[in-house]
Formats: sequence, structure tokens, C-alpha cells
Amino acid sequence: MMIGGGRSSSSSSTATAAGGTWVSTTSVSASGKRIQREMSELNADPPPHCSAAPKGDNLFHWVATIIGPPGTPYQGGIFFLDIAFPSDYPFQPPKVVFKTRIYHCNVDAAGNLSLDILKDSWSPALTISKVLTAIRSIFSNPDPYSPLTSGVARLYLADKAKHDEIASEWTLRFAK
Amino acid sequence: MESDSISHTSPPSASNCKDISRKKRVGTSLSCFHFHFRFLIFFIDVLFFVVDFQRSAKLKQCKLDARREQWLSQSAVKNKVCCKEGTNDGDSKQTQRGERDRSLENFEMRGTAEANGEVENVSVQHESDSESFPPNSHTSSSLLGGMDSGTSFTNSSSSSTSSGGCCSGSITEEEGGDGCLDDWEAVADALAADDDKQELDPNENNKENLCLGSTPGLEPNPQLGSNGEGSDLKNSEPECPRMVQRATGTCRAWRADDTFRPQTLPNLSKQRSFPATDRRFGQGGVSWMRNSAFSVPSSCPICYEDLDFTDSSFLPCLCGFRLCLFCHKRILEEDGRCPGCRKPYENDPVEAEASVQGGSLTTRLLARSCSMIARS
Repeated sequence: MMIGGGRSSSSSSTATAAGGTWVSTTSVSASGKRIQREMSELNADPPPHCSAAPKGDNLFHWVATIIGPPGTPYQGGIFFLDIAFPSDYPFQPPKVVFKTRIYHCNVDAAGNLSLDILKDSWSPALTISKVLTAIRSIFSNPDPYSPLTSGVARLYLADKAKHDEIASEWTLRFAK
Repeated sequence: MESDSISHTSPPSASNCKDISRKKRVGTSLSCFHFHFRFLIFFIDVLFFVVDFQRSAKLKQCKLDARREQWLSQSAVKNKVCCKEGTNDGDSKQTQRGERDRSLENFEMRGTAEANGEVENVSVQHESDSESFPPNSHTSSSLLGGMDSGTSFTNSSSSSTSSGGCCSGSITEEEGGDGCLDDWEAVADALAADDDKQELDPNENNKENLCLGSTPGLEPNPQLGSNGEGSDLKNSEPECPRMVQRATGTCRAWRADDTFRPQTLPNLSKQRSFPATDRRFGQGGVSWMRNSAFSVPSSCPICYEDLDFTDSSFLPCLCGFRLCLFCHKRILEEDGRCPGCRKPYENDPVEAEASVQGGSLTTRLLARSCSMIARS
């Protein structure tokens, strides 16, 4: 709370310094409040096998971890994600990036995700908790039809066993 | 009609008493009487609270409502008569005041002149008056109470001889008859509600009616037999309405607006429960509406700011997703889709809801939603 307060004030000052209008200034503080509330709710009731917390004292910059769900090639892996909240956060989706290498058709080599709710289907009603749950669900159910890495998607469709073998190998190598 | 004849005959007798009592009128005793009556009512309240604790409130409420309606209709019938009375005495309010004064004076005069015997009669009248209010389902308990009051009353009559205060007599009387007091209060309530419409005079008639109905009632007769003052009671019968008027009119502990009601009474909530029944239903509607509004979010799910009443009554999307007006405006600026169902916001609900906010916001929102639609 103390951290968040400091951050929101500083970010609002930067917004005004950058020539932000009245709306953007209030939206920064509003998003700060929203993020704080999400943080407290996440601590109170975290989604299974997920965790998220601000990185350092920047309320708008979080680190999240997702433990690979059992029954998948990612089982047992701990995947770190970097979450960057935009200043108009609830109205714009957070930017989520995998910091841990993962062999997944919806995650590219830089860790970017192709997740609809983080792009066009984003809703201000969604929270980080729901986003993490959604990310965890694509561990179990990859979407090879809207891939970021077409090679992985092709392999997933053609030879799932081979795909799973490589994925579990990557998990063992990078996520454990 | 009996009551008609009474109401016609009562003014002369009252004026007679007025002439006599005007000489004896003492201001201090008046105020003393007021004070005593306040205390009496407080005492009654305490007793009533204890005794009536177990009574089902619903039953009572139903009964009271029915009775209230009955009285209101009665008063409507009596309107004619009261108008006559009003024209006889000039201004109706003046009449009311005069009647009250007269009744007070009567009471005092009789209390001082004829000492306890007369006072007892008066209180018997009160008792019978309050005794008559309970409906049939109530009579057994009220009769019991009346019996108790009767015994306590006869006891207190001897004690009041020593104390000599008319108020002490009436206190014990009311004390004993606590079982009937809720009805007495209900009468007061009903009449208070009636006050505004009918310029106070119908009350008088109501009470006359009630008193007439009650005089041949069950309770007073044994009382009279025990006291042995039946003749006195019969003499004072025409003045019964005055006395009742005194009890419920002048010394009513609360008016329609409750400003004179002592706020520190312990069972204030119970007292208020009678006039508050209607209000409670109204509030129930409001609270229900609030609940329905807050059942989904108590704060805006977007910005987590608390929803005020305007926000909570703002339903921008048919899917039922609620959000504050600021967030809604923001979404209309950028995305235009409902966060709950991700469908574009309809034009109509926005227009309808935003028109409540008035002026500039409406036009802005309308312009935006129109542009949204034009774009898409």
C-alpha cells in the first residue's frame, strides 16, 4: 500500500509532466487504485498454481509465476512472466511477456503471447487473476490456429507426441 | 344516531362547564397535569414494552390497520356533523382549542371540587374507552388486564385520597390497563393521521363515537359496582368525549410529526412502529432496489470506486454489467464495448440513462454513441 501510494503519485506527476490531460491524470491514479485492489485480492484468493506481485516498488510492473499444470509437457515447470500495466490499465490490456523460455505455439521466442483477451478481447472487467488463469489454460490447450510460432503449431497438429517431447525437454531445461 | 344527538347536546353542557371552570382555572395546575401525563405515558411505555414483548407484531399490525380504516371511514361519515359543529362555534380550530380547554377545565374542576370520587369516574371512563378498542380476538387479554386494573384502581383510589392528586389516580389506572394501551395509542395514531385531512374536529366525533360505544362496555360496570358510583358516571357520560379528547388530543404525547414525542423514551422504536408501518414498506422498496443494484457490485468493477446511487441505477447494457459513469464514458471514448459481454454498447440505454444526468453529459454521450455507431 505504501509502495503503491508512492508510485501512483510519481506516475501522476510524470503524466502531467508529459502534458497529460486531466483525464489521463485521474486515470493514472484510478488505475493505481485498481491495481492495488487487484493485488490485495490476488493475495487473498490467488488462482491455483499462480502467483503475481509487483516487481520492486513499481505498482505497474509485476512479476507472475505459473506452475505448469500436471498432465501437460509443462508439468512441474515454473514459468515467470512479466506484466506491465499501461497507465490507463483497466481500459487497455496489460502487457504480459514470458520471461522463461517455453516451447509453445502461442508464445514466440521473445516470450510474447498471442492471447485474445490480451489483445482485442480485452475487457476492463478482466483482472490479472483471470489473465493468469487464461494463460495457464493455454498450457493445457494450445491454440495452433492462431500461432505465434508457426513451426511449433505445425508440429503440434502433425505430431503431438513429438511436440510434447520437445516441450517437456524445454520445460526441464528452462523452467526447473 | 346516538352519536349525532350526543354531539349536538354536548356543546351546551361543555359551555356550562366552561363558565364554571373558567373561574377555577389555574395555570400551574394545567402544566402540572401536563407533566404528570407525560410521566404517565412514559410509565405506560415501559410497562407496555415489558408486557407486550411476546405479542406478535404482525397480528397487531393487521388489526390496527383494519381498525384505522374503520375509524377513518367513520370519521368520513361524521364529517357532516363536525362541520355543523364547526359552523356553530365559528372557526373549527378555535372550536377544537375551546373544547380542549373546556375539557381540561372540566377535569380540573371536577378533580378539585369533587375530589377522588369524580376522578375515579373519569379514569373509569378512560379505562372503558381504552377497553373498547381491542377487537374480539383481543378481548380476553384486555379483559384480564381490565380486571387487574380494576383491582389496582380501587386500591389506588384509597391511596389517592392521601396523595390527593388526580394524576396519581389516573396513573395507576393506566398502569393497570396496560394491555389495552397499544390500542389506545393506535387510536391516537389513527386520529393523528386523520388530523391533517379533517381539521381536527372529526377526531372529536370519532372519540365521541368510541366513547359511546364503550360506555356500555364490559369493563366499567363491575368497576362501577365496586365503586358504587354508577349515578355519577351516568351524569358525567355526556362529558366523556371531552375527557377522551383530553387524553388523546391535548395530552397526546406525540403529534403527527412526532416533534413533541420525548425522544428518550425506551420503547420509542415500538411506538414508532405503528406510524412507521407504511414508511417501512416504502423503505423496503428502496432497500430492495438498492440490494438489487448492489447485489452485483458494491463498487465499480473497473475502477473499484464506490458506486453512488446514480451509478448503481445506471444500467448501460442489457447483460446487466454495471459500472460507474466515469468508466462508462471512458469505454465509450475508446472501445465502446460492454466489459461484461463485450458487445458494443447500445445507443438507447445510454441515452435513456444519461438523460438522467442531464445537459452536457447527455449530449456528449449521445454524440459519442452516435459516432460509434456511425463508425461501426
